[in-house]
Parts: sequence; structure tokens; C-alpha cells
Amino acid sequence: MRPKDPQDTVQACSDIPLKSYYTAEDIPDSHAERINVAPGEAPYHRGFHPSGYRSKPWRIFQLSGFGKPEDENERIKFLLKNGETGFIMEHDRNTADHCYNVDHPEVLARREDVGLTGAVMQSVRDTAICLDGLPMDTSFGHAGGAVVQHAPFALAAYWAVAKKRGYDLTTLPGTGQSDFNLTYLGCITKQQIPTDAGLRFNGDIIEFCTKHLPRWVPVSIAGYNGADTGLTPDQELGSLFANAVEYLDEIKLRGRIPIEVAARGCGGVSFRASIKIFEEACKMRAARLMWSDLLKKRYDIKDERVANLRIHCVTAGSKMAYQQPMNNLVRGALMAVSAVLGGVQSLGVSGYDEALSIPSEHAHQMSVRIQQILMEETGLTDVTDPLGGSYYVETLTAQLVEKSWAFFEEIQIRGGYLACLDSGWLHAKAEENQHKEFMQTESGEANIVGVTMAHDDSSPFEIDGFIGTDDAFDVALERLKEVKRTRHEKGAMTALKDLERVCRSSDNIMPVMMDCLEAEATLGEVGDVYREVFGDWRTPIQC
Amino acid sequence: MKPKRILMAKTGLDGHWRGPTIVARALRDAGFEVIMIGMATTAEIVAAAIDEDVDLVGLNIGGHIDVALRAVDAVQAAAPDMPIFAGGTIPPHACKQLEAKGLEVFPPGSMLTDIVDSANRLTGLSTAP
Repeated sequence: MRPKDPQDTVQACSDIPLKSYYTAEDIPDSHAERINVAPGEAPYHRGFHPSGYRSKPWRIFQLSGFGKPEDENERIKFLLKNGETGFIMEHDRNTADHCYNVDHPEVLARREDVGLTGAVMQSVRDTAICLDGLPMDTSFGHAGGAVVQHAPFALAAYWAVAKKRGYDLTTLPGTGQSDFNLTYLGCITKQQIPTDAGLRFNGDIIEFCTKHLPRWVPVSIAGYNGADTGLTPDQELGSLFANAVEYLDEIKLRGRIPIEVAARGCGGVSFRASIKIFEEACKMRAARLMWSDLLKKRYDIKDERVANLRIHCVTAGSKMAYQQPMNNLVRGALMAVSAVLGGVQSLGVSGYDEALSIPSEHAHQMSVRIQQILMEETGLTDVTDPLGGSYYVETLTAQLVEKSWAFFEEIQIRGGYLACLDSGWLHAKAEENQHKEFMQTESGEANIVGVTMAHDDSSPFEIDGFIGTDDAFDVALERLKEVKRTRHEKGAMTALKDLERVCRSSDNIMPVMMDCLEAEATLGEVGDVYREVFGDWRTPIQC
Repeated sequence: MKPKRILMAKTGLDGHWRGPTIVARALRDAGFEVIMIGMATTAEIVAAAIDEDVDLVGLNIGGHIDVALRAVDAVQAAAPDMPIFAGGTIPPHACKQLEAKGLEVFPPGSMLTDIVDSANRLTGLSTAP
């Protein structure tokens, strides 16, 4: 976007006016003293380790999954073969996010949708198929369970499979997600446990992992899901830390595990890497600085290792265009550059077919190749925090920190992050920004190549959307019947009764959830317990 | 004149609301009354279209095209003259299937002015092509 007159104001996405150039004078006094801090020194805006990517490359970590568990397994193996260095399990939205089995009326009404956005995993048998032959003991696995009410089931299923294979849970690497931004802000489900029950689940997961899976990241807050819904970068940061303090305050209140350990567990987060390269790189720098500040000031945490915020980034799906989709390879690469310049530890690049469908095999391969080219050929990994000391970058980092804390405070004034989800205040903020961004494009103030300019009507579509498998529903229904017919019925029923009892108490739900999975209780049966005990979240917006 | 009424529904169980919300706001700004029912089954969409006495049905499609086609068939069977338009993450092959049933289709990258123009045309407020 170029202003009509060079003297006109240009705004960053975070509504910060940008000058046409910066000098040392622009860097706020409060930040000037941080300029000479080296990477590896507090407050860590320059990175947690002095040798950065020289000592440890970022993890190539792609969201993947569709169809039957074996389809997802095949795709994950394809990605690992192509150079992915961790793997993510993606579950079918219809069943997983709602904790429905495929025979639920809401799913039956949309049977062709089943398996379109992830594999259907209704029992531990399905999860075992999906994980067949995958290096669970050595590779960093994402068990899925992105949506809050699904997380305990998805995690217990993953861990139950690991146990059955003889792996020691105390050394098992990996991550859960259980993200409030996705569940209650970005991708609202038709049915969901209320936010207070969700907070309790996440507290239980954090405590359980501390005891039994010390190498596991129990929950992972995804700023991405706020940002791709419309929150600006400063709001993405402010709301992420407002979310984090809900978890940490809950853990502190419970008083069962040291706050340092819980903070370490909550310190694996994800952000969106969008298209404004410098602002996004500054966002990652600001995030590390804010986390280290927050832990010191609010929780008096002095252990420097805990201050290490580990960041996973996903490039902005909403920036991928439907028209001329090959242009998205360029967008994906540039958004990935912003994340790498920001010093993130893990990265997923959206498929070039993102605006049409879930990724085809080729789109997935290209997402890996983009990262390999950046890692191996460009020299981006040679020097840690290569933007450090830039008048512009240091100024914008400092301004973002200030603006993000202001948003954090605004949330606190309104009763905290959960209250702002329940009231719809965050949704209204996101909607306002969406509208503004859309109107800028609509009015011609901002351009999107191939969409608002540089049209090519002779070849409007170079690809069609990827279509997964067409038998996901039928196979899932068959397997559901099979598991109910062949499991130890009494054991499953006892486990489900125990689950209900624990849900009604203040005990940790994870041990009994492990029992449920090991007794082959199914997703929909667990969901029925939740619906009975917790009821439904009242959505603040109609969607 | 009474404002024309538009029903907006999502055919899938995927609650990404960014697209339909932007569209609903543009339609309201253009003077339409928009009734959002969110994620709805075919039966719920048909019932709402009749009960709410709408002039136009808008479907947000993010899932399999067969689910959307079933909703279109059901609305057209229950109310043969009801115009329908659709938007969302709809791949080219699926756009063609919807267009074959007489729908106007707005995939990602569509302009709000074009969507509002379509609503005006489909509800008889304008005769512009």
C-alpha cells in the first residue's frame, strides 16, 4: 500500500503511525537501554539463545489431516519423509470439536462433511491407527485437541497409545493445545462446555502433565486464532497474555504445583505470522519481552529458564488468496521470513491452496520446501536477531510492547480474558477490525495482487480444491459399531460413570479420562457426560 | 417500504464466522434485514426460510458441496421461487455445481459491493444485470 502523498500517514496494523524513516532519536528511552542486550539475556526480545538457529533450527511443523485415521497417517508420513521435523494430528471438526460420534443427528445431517477437516477418531483404536509407525518417542507430536472440550480426550488417547507401545510417559515429547481463542473466539462450535469448565479442564491438564508428563507442553495458547479472526498484532499479544494469566492465576489459586513449573508449561505458544514483515517480526520480539516481564512482575518468578517463551508460528491463512493461488507460494515464503526474523522455534506455512481447501499433497510439500529453502539457502539463519539495533525495528518493538500492555489492561478492567469472551467484547473488537480491513480493500486503499489488481481472466483458476476421501463417514460408523460390540462393555460404562462423578467434583479429570480411553469409551459418550454435567456455553455472537 | 429480509445460515459445523459476519454487516448497511441462524441443518434452514418469511437465502459453505446441495434442493422444493446465493471456501468445481442450480456464488476475494448488488437483484430491488 503506497500513500497518495509520501508525507501522508501510513499506519501499522496495530494502529501505530509509521514514519518514512527512523533514527536513534525515535527509540523510546525505556527501550534504549535494551538495545545493547545480547540474545540470551533478559528480557529476551533478541531471542533466548545467543547462537539462535546456528545451534537449533526451527521445527518444521505442518497442520495435517483428513479422512480416515489411515489417510491422516499416510499424509503425516509423507510430510516426515519430505523433511517435517514434528507432526500434528488434526481431528475432524464435526465430531472432535463437538465431542459427537458420527451417529449424532448433527453429524448425520452432514455426513459428507465428516473427515473433510481432519481424521475421525472416536476411540483409542482410531488414534492407534493414525499413529501407526510414527516416531512418538523421538518426534515432537501434536496430539490435536485444539478445541477445549476435546483436549482431555485427544490427549488421553495419544498417551494411551504411547503407553500401550511401551513408551515412558515421563520422557514423552509433544504438545496439546486446548486453545480458548480457537474455541470461544475464532471458530465457535455449535455446542461447547462453558468457559469456566474449560478453565478447569486446562488447569487439570497442566497439573496432570506436571506430575506425569514433564516433557509435554500441556496447553498451548494460540494468538493465531485471535489474529486470524481479526485482532491486530497488539491485541493478539495483549489477549494472549491475558489468557495466560487466567491459567496461571488458576494454578496459583489451586496451590498444588509450583507456579514456575506451570509457567514453563504455559510458555509454549503460537502466533500468526502475517504479511507485514517488520511488524510481525517485532511482534515475536515483543512477545518474549512481555512474557519475561509478566513472570517477574506478576508471579515473582526468577528462574530465567522459565522466561524462555517458545513460539510456534503459522502463516496467516486469511492472507492466502483464492484467485491465482500460485501467488500464495510467495506470500507463504514472505510470512515465514517474518517469523524467522522474529526468531521463532517452530513454523508451519499455509498451503498455497488454503483459500480453496485443505492442503493437497503438493501444497503440503511446497510448505515444507519453502521452509527448507529459507533454512538452507538464504543465510537467514546465520546471525541471531538480524534486525536487532535497527532504529525502526527497535522503535516498533517498544511501541508494540506498550500498546499490547494497554490492551491487556483493557481486558483486565473488563473482568479478564474469560469475561471478555463471555461478553463478546473480544468478538466485537475482531469484527470491527475485519470490517475496517475489508473496507480498505473494497475502497481500493489497499490492494491484493490477483484479487483487486493484476487480474488474469484468461486463467482464473490454476488449480481446483483438494478432495480427500469419500469413505470417512462410512468407515467411522462401522468402526464405532465395532468398538461398541467388541469392547469390555462393563469396563467402559464404569469408566464413564467415574468420569461423571469426577466432573461433578473438583478432582482432576485426567486420570479418569485415561481410564475411559483405556476402557475404549468413545468420544460421543464422553461428550454426553460433559453435556449432562456442564451444559452449553452461551455464545455471545450468532454464528 | 418494508426492508427485504435475508436469511443467512452455515451449512457445516465449522464455526469460522469472519466471512458471514462481514457479509451480514454489508447487507445491513445496505438496508436489508438479516436473520443469522448460524450453523444449521437442512431442515433448520428450510424451516427458518419459511417461518421468517424471507426474500432471499444466503448460505455460507465451508464443507462438502453435497451437504450444501442438499440444503439448496430442500429450500427450492419447499419454496420454488426463493432465490439463494452462496459464499465461502468453495472450490471452483463446487461453484459450478451451485451455479447449475441457479445460485449466484461468491468465493473468497469477492467484493462486498458485488454481493450487495446481487442481493438487490435477487430480491427484485434492482433490475441491473
